[in-house]
Amino acid sequence: MFQVAKYPVQVCRFLSPRGSVLIETVRGRKSRNDPKAKSKQDRVKVPSPIDPVEMVVLKERYTQYQMIMRALRVEFKEQIMRRRYEEEVGSRAEERTKHEAEEHRALMAWNDAENLRLRQLREIRVQKEVEELAMKREEAIGLQEEKRRKILKEKEQEILQLQEDVKTFITLENLDQRIEEALDNPKNYNFAIDKEGRIVKRTAIP
Amino acid sequence: MPMKGRFPIRRTLEYLQKGDVVFKNFVKIMTVNYNTHGELSEGARKFVFFKIPQIQYKNPWVQILMFKNMTPSPFLKFYLDDGEQVLVDVEGKNHNEITQHINKIVGKTQEVLQAEALAAMVTSNPANFGHRKYCLRECLCEVEGQVPCPGIVPLPKEMTGKYRNQMKAGQE
Repeated sequence: MFQVAKYPVQVCRFLSPRGSVLIETVRGRKSRNDPKAKSKQDRVKVPSPIDPVEMVVLKERYTQYQMIMRALRVEFKEQIMRRRYEEEVGSRAEERTKHEAEEHRALMAWNDAENLRLRQLREIRVQKEVEELAMKREEAIGLQEEKRRKILKEKEQEILQLQEDVKTFITLENLDQRIEEALDNPKNYNFAIDKEGRIVKRTAIP
Repeated sequence: MPMKGRFPIRRTLEYLQKGDVVFKNFVKIMTVNYNTHGELSEGARKFVFFKIPQIQYKNPWVQILMFKNMTPSPFLKFYLDDGEQVLVDVEGKNHNEITQHINKIVGKTQEVLQAEALAAMVTSNPANFGHRKYCLRECLCEVEGQVPCPGIVPLPKEMTGKYRNQMKAGQE
């Protein structure tokens, strides 16, 4: 489709040397092949009437007015551009950049000091951790030693106990003797218990 | 639709707009190295979890990277546009302290922000009507209490030019 013009343009050329009038219109809503509206079929577009004397005066005044308006606009635009230029590339801008650079340096220095402080804290902490680790390791070693010694002692005790028990073992030599002894001393494993929980070991021999 | 995630408030516009760290123009990249376990990285973890969304919302053109479990101690690093690198140690710090720290060294101050807001207000007048890109409204029909757009809701007959002209023609 044709280019959509947001603002309908009507170009009227008045007062050409021959006195003829020219009108141009832009397409608008309808396309090329759409028929004219029924209410507009017989319409003859006539340009608005103008008074040539008035036109001359108006033209003169218009040129002056437009010149003044254009000049004002240009003045204002120039003012704005100058202000922007001053801000970006001016004496104040240089001062500002210098000021900002100084501030930046100061802040970086402060940041470095902060980092240093944290670093010292960290070093102390790490050292403490290392020391603690070494201490723990020593403790662990000590505990292990203790355990080993205890086990050794227990084993020795067991051996001594065993040596003692050997004397009461029944061997082939004192087998007969022990049998005799057993038969001579009958052991009674029976016992009685009452509701209060008192145990009586001496019962009647069957 | 329910909110998703552990702290879905981090995804709300209100929370994001409350962020107060706006980086200066020369900061281009921010890198956060932290650990997923350990008491000393706790502040950094909270910072990444709560504050990074706010910072990224306020600084959409700054690249923010996160690295996990690469170094024994957590730190932040800023890469400026003139090649300078700023290292910020955050071991053992609270997430609020970290935010204050970076706001101080590479963030815009309140005065600067206010001046910028003022400058922005001067250029864009909210009373103007025009294209959506530059103005708030395009047509008066969008304002509450005004005549609605005749393209959506037809005007009452008495307000149309056609009817008025007919009446005028009829009277004459």
